[in-house]
Amino acid sequence: MSSPREPSRGGPTVHVWNGYSLAERDRRWAAVRAQAAAAGLDCVWVPLGDGVDGRYLTQLRCSSIVLPSDGRDAIVVADRGSRNSWVPEPRLIGRDWPEPMAQALMDAGMEGRRIGVVGLHGGVLSHVRAADGVAVHSALEHVRQRLPRAEFVDATDVVGRVRYVKSEEEIACLRRAVEIAEAGVDELIAGATPGVDMAGLYARVMGRMLRMGSEYYPLALSLDGERHTNPAAGLSLEAGTLLGSEVSAVWGTQVAQQDQPIFFGTPSASWQAAIDLQRRAFERGLEIMKPGATVGELLDGIAALRTPELRVAVLLHGRGAGDDGPLVSPRSSGEAARSLRFEAGNAFVWKPAVTAKDGFAFTWGGTVIITSRGAEKLFQQEHGLVRRA
Amino acid sequence: MTATAAWQGYSLAERDRRWAKVRANAAKAELDCVFVPLCVDGRNLHLSLEQAYGNRSDGRYLTQMENASVVLPTDGREPIVINDRGRPNAWVASPRAAEGDSRGSWGPAMAEALLELGMERARIGVTGLGRGKVTHGRALAGSISHEAYAYVLARLPNATFVPADDVVGFARYVKSDEEIACLRRGAEIATAGIERMIEVARPGVPEAELYASVMERMLELGSEYYPVALYSSPLGEPSLRYEDPPPLERMLQRGYLLTHETAAVWGGIIAQELQPILLGRLPEQWKPVVELQTELYWAGLERMLPGHPFHELIDFVNAFGEQRGLKSLILMHGRGYGDDGPLLTPQDKRAEHFRDVPFEVGNCFVWKPIAYSADERIQHSWGGCIVITERGGEPLVRRAPGVVSVL
Repeated sequence: MSSPREPSRGGPTVHVWNGYSLAERDRRWAAVRAQAAAAGLDCVWVPLGDGVDGRYLTQLRCSSIVLPSDGRDAIVVADRGSRNSWVPEPRLIGRDWPEPMAQALMDAGMEGRRIGVVGLHGGVLSHVRAADGVAVHSALEHVRQRLPRAEFVDATDVVGRVRYVKSEEEIACLRRAVEIAEAGVDELIAGATPGVDMAGLYARVMGRMLRMGSEYYPLALSLDGERHTNPAAGLSLEAGTLLGSEVSAVWGTQVAQQDQPIFFGTPSASWQAAIDLQRRAFERGLEIMKPGATVGELLDGIAALRTPELRVAVLLHGRGAGDDGPLVSPRSSGEAARSLRFEAGNAFVWKPAVTAKDGFAFTWGGTVIITSRGAEKLFQQEHGLVRRA
Repeated sequence: MTATAAWQGYSLAERDRRWAKVRANAAKAELDCVFVPLCVDGRNLHLSLEQAYGNRSDGRYLTQMENASVVLPTDGREPIVINDRGRPNAWVASPRAAEGDSRGSWGPAMAEALLELGMERARIGVTGLGRGKVTHGRALAGSISHEAYAYVLARLPNATFVPADDVVGFARYVKSDEEIACLRRGAEIATAGIERMIEVARPGVPEAELYASVMERMLELGSEYYPVALYSSPLGEPSLRYEDPPPLERMLQRGYLLTHETAAVWGGIIAQELQPILLGRLPEQWKPVVELQTELYWAGLERMLPGHPFHELIDFVNAFGEQRGLKSLILMHGRGYGDDGPLLTPQDKRAEHFRDVPFEVGNCFVWKPIAYSADERIQHSWGGCIVITERGGEPLVRRAPGVVSVL
């Protein structure tokens, strides 16, 4: 990676991982252009606020991009001396984004045209947890005023549709991220001893993954249902505690996640039925998630496993650059994504949830990809509840 | 230093102090209420670490919730608070769920809150629309999420929406004893992180190992995750800035200079401490620059007297080096919930926007002036968190200025 010389007193240039090939850039840009053209857009525009899509299209830490649908060169506005092999000559700015973004759109001839704004709303395939989108209000309004005859429409899923299918390069990075997350799980299991301080445990797991080069992504530890995404200083693991975890690692911008519950004590006999059903649900899901099958088929197939004593629910969301869809969870039923088809190159965290009548809830799983042969589990962790005496 | 028991949160008295101060500032600005709308998350709006953390800082300041929208009437009525699931805390017993049982827009809940409080024709002060003097200083375009805010504007067409960053900002600008205690704790944790860095920094050590060791130390002491910003390069050469572990192939080498911003968060407040570490002996030509910076650090503290405007300090610092045939520039910014001002940097060395603002007891800053050689080939910054008292600026953690040499 090149190391651009820092301009005198111009603010620091922040390194971010940028190891994808130029072929990967061209693949992404071509696919987004094709999607944009199909949607009748003259360009796709990633505004200030949509950092995830900006990084997806530029590999820069913070950028705004205008990507004309007709194949003309993209115009990239970037922060603080950022440049890389994908975007060797972005328009560099300080902290003032609105006018340079407006100028980029005007220079691309977008006044009076139909502009697809990425991150304007939440999507089905990206920004799935941000129903209101991620565009910054004041910046967006400035741009609209500068291009009064342009039509601004949502294009979140135009890019999201491209992000939904991973390339081999992306899957290779995701595999590496899974390895790191699994190392984090190993550290969690090794460190989760009775009486241990939660902050110390949190630190130990994060330290392991950072040493392996993961970018930061919050570790989530759930203590008897209370979720902590920062160190819970002063709390300790005691007998009878059920510790849930979402251990995430990032490599090549791909966010992997592994989920491994740990129980401190002897679980009641009734729990085993829930754990066994969760295993069947996990495996059944792998069988269903073949290219061409729909999310609806997965929902129905898993619902069919329900018993009078045990509820079972799909818990599935996309993996990728961040906030990837579809999101199927107790808070997002998945009905909006019911007709969505699985495709080779999709990546998910798959962790069906089983709940018993006594309130015991068991979720276990991790990162899977869809191949032409069906779903492939990327991780090695054995199924089950880890028990600590 | 060891981990302590869980922090129990700010007191109800602290909540009431903050709300009363914001209401008083709002009354002076002739606002009927202060409105903190939904703001963009830091992972997406990440112009700097400070700014990413500061996007949702006003909501956190007023509620102790990570992500909240607030309508705080000026006339003393109870605020309406909105968060994603309606989960309460010790400060806000009955927040409203923005999204109900499913993930949806925050717009309707925010508009309903304003309408319910009678704001349909009111003068509404909005935070996060743009840059404030002492908050959101790096967010020139603000940090408000467009979609939800646009919905609110459409639902209240007869209301007047005006920027109110300084209404909340100048409440945040003066810290209480509780806040200063949290900042002190954060500075102690950051100092422990630096001590770990000095232990680990040796030639041949992977930079990612160094990075992870420091983060691990601060996390085990209970800091929220706030990335170390690390620079690592041969002495005198430029370095990229790393806010995640540096690439695995990078190894520390003899002669490397490590500079960094080591930040820790306690009680939501971000402390920052700096300590250059050289893997070798400090060259003779660096010593006058380091000595100048040390003198400047202490001399500057003496000039941070309550009631005195910032321009006295700014001009003093920027001229200080010339007396010794060297150069110096101011570098300091506010401490608090994130993106706190003023932001005084070499990129804006006259700081026209802030020259006439006076120091007040309870202001907190990271103070790290820069000394340069005459040709600017050598530059040195050292510093950390300070609080303004009647006697001037006082460091929150006692450390010795200078460069630590690891031989």
